[in-house]
Amino acid sequence: MKRFLGTPLIDYLPAFALLVIAIAYLATGYSYTPQARAFPVSVAWATIVLVALDITSRTHTALGETLTRLFNPAASAGHDEKRPAYPAWKQISAVLWATGFVVLILLIGFLYAIPIYVFASTYFRGRKRLLLCLLVSAGVTLFIWLLFTQVLKLELYPGVLFSEF
Amino acid sequence: MLDMWLGGLQGLLHIDVLLFVLLGMVIGLVFGAIPGLGGTTAIALLMPLTYGMEPFTALALAGGVMGSVPMGGSITSILLNTPGTAPNAATCLDGHPLAQQGKAGLAIGAAGSANALGAIIGTVSVLAVLPIASDLVLLFGPPEFFLMGLFALAVVATTSHGKALRGLVAGGLGLMIAFVGYNDIAGGERFTFGVEYLWDGIHLVPALIGLFAVAEMIHLMIKGGSVAKSAAAVKITSMTSGLVETFRHWPTVLRGSFIGTTVGAIPGLGGTVVAFLSYSVTAQASKNPESFGKGNIQGVIAPEAAICAHDCSALIPTLTFGIPAGAEMAVFMGLLIIHGMQPGPLMLRDHQVEIYGLIWALTASCVLASFVGLLFVRPLSKITLLDSGILVPLVLSTALAGSFAIDMTIENVVVTAVFGVLGYMMMRYDYPRLMIVVALVLGGNIERNFHQSMLMGDGGWSVFFSRTISIILMIATVAVLLLPVFRGVLQQFHPRKVQAERGHS
Repeated sequence: MKRFLGTPLIDYLPAFALLVIAIAYLATGYSYTPQARAFPVSVAWATIVLVALDITSRTHTALGETLTRLFNPAASAGHDEKRPAYPAWKQISAVLWATGFVVLILLIGFLYAIPIYVFASTYFRGRKRLLLCLLVSAGVTLFIWLLFTQVLKLELYPGVLFSEF
Repeated sequence: MLDMWLGGLQGLLHIDVLLFVLLGMVIGLVFGAIPGLGGTTAIALLMPLTYGMEPFTALALAGGVMGSVPMGGSITSILLNTPGTAPNAATCLDGHPLAQQGKAGLAIGAAGSANALGAIIGTVSVLAVLPIASDLVLLFGPPEFFLMGLFALAVVATTSHGKALRGLVAGGLGLMIAFVGYNDIAGGERFTFGVEYLWDGIHLVPALIGLFAVAEMIHLMIKGGSVAKSAAAVKITSMTSGLVETFRHWPTVLRGSFIGTTVGAIPGLGGTVVAFLSYSVTAQASKNPESFGKGNIQGVIAPEAAICAHDCSALIPTLTFGIPAGAEMAVFMGLLIIHGMQPGPLMLRDHQVEIYGLIWALTASCVLASFVGLLFVRPLSKITLLDSGILVPLVLSTALAGSFAIDMTIENVVVTAVFGVLGYMMMRYDYPRLMIVVALVLGGNIERNFHQSMLMGDGGWSVFFSRTISIILMIATVAVLLLPVFRGVLQQFHPRKVQAERGHS
C-alpha cells in the first residue's frame, strides 16, 4: 500500500473529501449577502483549519504525533490501520442494496417496494429458505400497511410510476 | 402550595384517569420505539380523540404518552442502534455496544431505571422550581443562548472518545449542513441549489434515522451475522442487574437529572442537546473516558436520566411563557388550548390542579414504562440474535416508512438514505456521529442568537462581556476546549498516575 509521510494514502481520503466539501461550501457562501454569509463562511473557514489539522495529525511526523496525542489520543498512530478491513466490494454492495431500496420506493412506492426488497434481500443476500423469505416479506408488508395505512390513517407514498400526475 | 401538589395527585388517583395514563403509556412506548413517530405524532393523533374528555383526563393521557416515549425509544436504540426519538440517539452510543456484547438486558434495565429515577428527580425539582421558574428563565437572553450553544458543542466535541479533533471536524460539517435552508435573519435561502424541500433546512429526524439506523444496517450487512456476537453471549444475569447498576452509579443519575432539569427548562435547547450534554459531561467526569462508546453502562444511564428529567422541566417554559421547548411541547400546547387553557403566566394561577396532575401523570408514566421495559427485557434481548438477513430488511423498511411519515414527504426518505451512507462513512473512518446531531440541532439557534446579540449590542461584542452568565459560559467553554490538551500534557508527565486511575476505575 502506498504511503505518504508514513501513513497509507487511503487514510487521508476522508479528510481530503471533507476539505473539498468545505472549500466548495466556502465558495458558495461568498455568493450570499454579507449578513447571510457571515456565519456559514466563518464555520467553513474554521472547518478548513480543523481538517488541515486532522490531515497533519494523520502523518507520522513529530507535529502529527503531537497533535494526535493532544487532540486525538484514541486515533493514535496505527489505530486507523487496525480497523476491521472489509472488502471494498462488500461495502459497495451493502450501500447499493440500501440505495436500491430507496430508488425502488421512489419508483413504485412503499407497498410494492417493501415486499420486493424484503424478499430479494432475504433470499438473495440472506440466503434463507424460499418459504421463510415469502413469509417475512408478507409479514413486514402487512405490519407496515396495518400500522401506517390502517392505524395512523397515513397514505404511504405510491411512487412516481403509480402517482396520479 | 402543598395542597395543590396533593390536589393534582388526588385527581390522578381515579380509576378512569389512571386507565387513560396507562393507555397513554402503551401508545407512547409503541410510538417511541418506531423511528420517526415519537411523542409529537402520538399526541397529534390523539388530540381529536380528547375533545369530549375532561381537561384533567386529557392532560393525564398526554402525560402518559410523553412519559413513556423515552423508554420506547431507548429499547430500539440499545437493541438496533436505531433511536426511536432524537434524544435517544445519545443512548445508542453505549447502549448498542452493550447489546453487541450480549448485555442488552443490562442496558435496557439500566435505561428503564435511570428513566424512572430521572423522572422522579425531575418532578421534585419542577414542583419546587415552578413558582419561581419565570424569574430563572428570564436570566437567559440571546447572548446566553448563543454561548450555551457553543458550550454544548465544545463539551460534546471534546468528549468524543479521545477524538476531539475529529469531533470538531464533524461538528463543523454538521454546522455547515445546519445552515442549509431559509435564513430568517437576512432573508433568502442558502445552499438549497434550487431544491424546494431544502428551504426548511435538513429535517432532523430523517437525518438521525439515516445516521444511526440505516448506517448500522449497512454495517450489519457488511459484517453479517447478528447484532449480538453469539447466542451464548446474550446473558441476562437477572432482571434487576440494570437496576442495581443504576443505583451503583447514583452520581451519574443525579448529574443527568440535574442537567435534564436545568438545561431542559431553557427554551430552544431540546431533549437531544440535554441527552448529549449529560452523556458528554459524564464522560468528561469519568476517570476512564476512553471506555465511553465501547459499552460503558454510565453512557446509558446519563442520557436516559436526563431525558426524563428534561421532559418534566420542558413544561416550565411551555406553561409559564407559552414558549414550547420543542415540537412535542408545541403540539401539546395545542392540546391545552383546545381544552380552554391558555399557556402563559395566568395558567399557573388558574389551572394549578391540572398542571400538577399532568406532572404526576408524566412521572407515573415514566416509572410504569420502565417497569414494563424491565418485564420484557428477556424477550426483547432476543432481537439482537436475529440474523442480519432478516433484521436488515425489517429495520430498513420500518425506518424508511417512519421517515416518510414524519410529514408525508418523500424527500425525507432520500435524506435518510444520504445520511445513512454518510453515517456509515463516519463509522468506517472513525468520525464521531454525535457531533453532527448536536450541530444540526444547535446550528440554527446559535446563528439566530448571535445576530440577535449583535443587534442588542449595536453591532459590538461588549454584550457578551457585560452579563454575568455570559462570562461564566465563555470561561466554561474555553476550559472545556483546553481540557484535552491538559489531559494530554498530564498523561505525558504522569503516565503512571493516569494509567493507575484507569486501571482502578
